[in-house]
Amino acid sequence: MPAQIDHAEAASIVYDALVVGSGVSGAIVARSLAERGLRVLVVEAGPGEELSVADYETYLTRFYGAAAKDNNAAYEVNPNAPMPRSPDVRRLQPGHPDSTGYLIQNGPYEMDSTYTRVLGGTTMHWEGKALRMLPEDFQMRSRFGQGRDWPIGYDDLEPYYRKAEFELGVSADVADQTFYGITFPPDYEFPMHGLPKSYLDQLVARDLDGTEIRLEDTTCTLSVRPTAQARNGVPNPAYDGGKGYVPVGAVSTHQVDEGGRCQGNINCVPLCPVQAKYNARKTLAASLQTGRVDILTQTIASRVHVGEDGQISHIDYQAYGSTTSPEHVTGSLRARMYVLAANPVENARLMLASGLPGSNGLVGRNLMDHAYLLTWALMPEIAGTMRGSQCTSGIEDLRAGEFRRRHAAMRVSIHNDGWAWPTGSPYTDLIALVDDANAYGAAVRRGLVDRISRQLMLSFMVELMPEPSNRITVDGRYIDALGNLRPVLSYSLPEYTMDGVAAARRVSRRIFQRLGAEDRTSYDPLDTGYVGHQGEGYIIRGGNHWAGTHIMGESSHDSVVDVHQRSWDHPNLYLVGPGSMPSIGTSNTTLTLAAMSFMTAEHIATELTTRPTVTIGG
Amino acid sequence: MADDNDVLAAFLTLSATLTGYSQFRLLGTGQAEPYLATTRGAVGDDVLDQLLTTSAAVHDKAADNEEALDRGLRAGILSDDKLGPVARNVIKMWFVGTWYQLPQEWRDAHATREPDVTHVVSPASYTEGLLWPTIGANPPGAKGQGYGTWASPPLIDVP
Ligand SMILES: Cc1cc2nc3c(=O)[nH]c(=O)nc-3n(C[C@H](O)[C@H](O)[C@H](O)COP(=O)(O)OP(=O)(O)OC[C@H]3O[C@@H](n4cnc5c(N)ncnc54)[C@H](O)[C@@H]3O)c2cc1C
Ligand code: SF4
Repeated sequence: MPAQIDHAEAASIVYDALVVGSGVSGAIVARSLAERGLRVLVVEAGPGEELSVADYETYLTRFYGAAAKDNNAAYEVNPNAPMPRSPDVRRLQPGHPDSTGYLIQNGPYEMDSTYTRVLGGTTMHWEGKALRMLPEDFQMRSRFGQGRDWPIGYDDLEPYYRKAEFELGVSADVADQTFYGITFPPDYEFPMHGLPKSYLDQLVARDLDGTEIRLEDTTCTLSVRPTAQARNGVPNPAYDGGKGYVPVGAVSTHQVDEGGRCQGNINCVPLCPVQAKYNARKTLAASLQTGRVDILTQTIASRVHVGEDGQISHIDYQAYGSTTSPEHVTGSLRARMYVLAANPVENARLMLASGLPGSNGLVGRNLMDHAYLLTWALMPEIAGTMRGSQCTSGIEDLRAGEFRRRHAAMRVSIHNDGWAWPTGSPYTDLIALVDDANAYGAAVRRGLVDRISRQLMLSFMVELMPEPSNRITVDGRYIDALGNLRPVLSYSLPEYTMDGVAAARRVSRRIFQRLGAEDRTSYDPLDTGYVGHQGEGYIIRGGNHWAGTHIMGESSHDSVVDVHQRSWDHPNLYLVGPGSMPSIGTSNTTLTLAAMSFMTAEHIATELTTRPTVTIGG
Repeated sequence: MADDNDVLAAFLTLSATLTGYSQFRLLGTGQAEPYLATTRGAVGDDVLDQLLTTSAAVHDKAADNEEALDRGLRAGILSDDKLGPVARNVIKMWFVGTWYQLPQEWRDAHATREPDVTHVVSPASYTEGLLWPTIGANPPGAKGQGYGTWASPPLIDVP
């Protein structure tokens, strides 16, 4: 149970490590350090009184009862530790920042990505795609003259990818996931077998597999492949040299039998009702088993203090008793090592609010996210849309190749949840049938099947390179209920990405033509996210894959952290998570950041166990 | 209407015609009473009474003639300024468990009542929505059909 310790007691202990944020990054670091015998305190800004199923049921009931089912609908509004919510995003007027939501939108592009500030962080409502990056993604500058190279390569990260696949409980088959340079050690098996392709995937694959598409000079041969997913499938008895794998079910301080296999609830975002999907509470619960981890929820790290020696001396916190009142107490926490794992936006916000922009001014800069282009069509036959997990398959063949010199690469997901994301289906279809088509009775039933069960939606996840001008800042005019500075976002979509978006739209037309599907894609210029590019307009959605802001590099001149995610400026400070990534390729970020967290935890443990205790001033 | 049971019976008769599902199926969702109460709360006793009385008359007159029922329903209810929007709301409520706020035009002309706001009637009404079984799916977040079922063609029963 997180609340075994109170703030006064925690403040009296000098921990080996203080971890800010209980998301997947922080949870993995905490668990790994504790398993190596180190004492860890985790502070979490959001609520989550117990790691309990009861908590979980409350989220679920709130979701069922919410009229607007946006991706944070399951989580209560909390002015003390607010989070961005997509319905708050407004169309921006040039030069007029919008402060409707928690995130101040400076523009020019209005971004609808979100994250979640509750115990367990954003994995409470992530979708659970668990993809490795391609080897070439780590070498964007040297291979394609774009963006930045990582200071490490795929091979360096590979062993940690395996640890991450264990921790997150990934279901996939090696044969399906071996493409475009991705390699596995001989005899490697994923913890669980891949999830079956949906009926919709199979219909798409039947006609699409083998289709050739040209991107610049690269010929890409399309095939529909199952997607690696962090949700429970059928355990693979061959895992770990034949030892097998035991799936992690629901977490609770009182174990109950939930959290079985994925049942196809199609609700991974915002919340998996049976906890088949990984969330960081699973790792937190395991970390508590060591007896060396304390967790304080409703506790916001509010300021990072630096001593004269350049080391972090302590971190101030604010602890609130209720999400409905700003009343709170304050104090300071101390540790030998400090780990900020609050996500890219909040890590940058906290550093900047503490007056720590970095000696090179790079904290908060090089913010990245994937640009999502959604395209949708009606299949010529009933495809059984709205069943399975949100996506079971995708197209990986537009992710790699020489065309990346000219424009961004892209990854395609086939959506089992139909047009939900772009049009609000099935609700909007029902309303249109009843209010506009004047259908009732059997005609409504037939109409619903005709309009919904044939839906095909392809999302194109387009990569974006780090640009210093895409950034998080703070501004004294904007504060939250506890007086903390709110993040201000300045963001635009670079030409390289928009050229990729244009290519994605062309590819989608080809695919629909091949399938004989009726293209119903349209982009309303008055909608948020509308971007014009070379005479065409598109709606770009945020990818929820916040990255950058404390980018990793080889030198202190052009990066914020080193290869261990250690701050160049403050040797006992680590900024961990997707914020350290120098590029994001076309992989959803979490498996990679989980791998990086394992790598960093190993490094921190070595530092702490082989070096003498740092003496802390003040 | 005479007593509560008669009102509920009339509401079910109308609902079955509007949704294309049998009264038996509708009762099975456990939502008939909450939906009747929600409709009453949003539009008031008079409008509800008028809707159900008109419906009863249309059904009686049509007897078992489907074409006559269709014509009567469109003429007497669906194209009626006052009753049409309410009937359409009842359809939507059965399919997704949400009461949608009536059009402003209706509110100006007839009544602006506090419960007439867009809301999910209850968490159970969301999971009992008829839309999901209609398309051979489950309500997102509830009643998962089981591991791997998504790989087979959907079970859809269209009338
Ligand atoms: C809708 C959606 C779908 C997604 N789907 C996928 C997917 O399919 N695949 C994938 O790879 N990724 C996906 N992602 C991205 C993924 O969720 C994130 O990359 C990942 O959760 C980041 O983990 P983190 O630990 O770095 O940050 P978070 O999970 O955001 O955790 C940070 C934690 O720090 C806490 N915190 C913040 N500020 C403070 C403070 N000042 N003091 C104390 N605590 C603080 C927060 O409350 C939070 O709990 C998705 C994201 C969203 C929103
Ligand atoms: S499809 Fe459903 S059961 Fe499966 S992981 Fe997603 S929410 Fe959970």
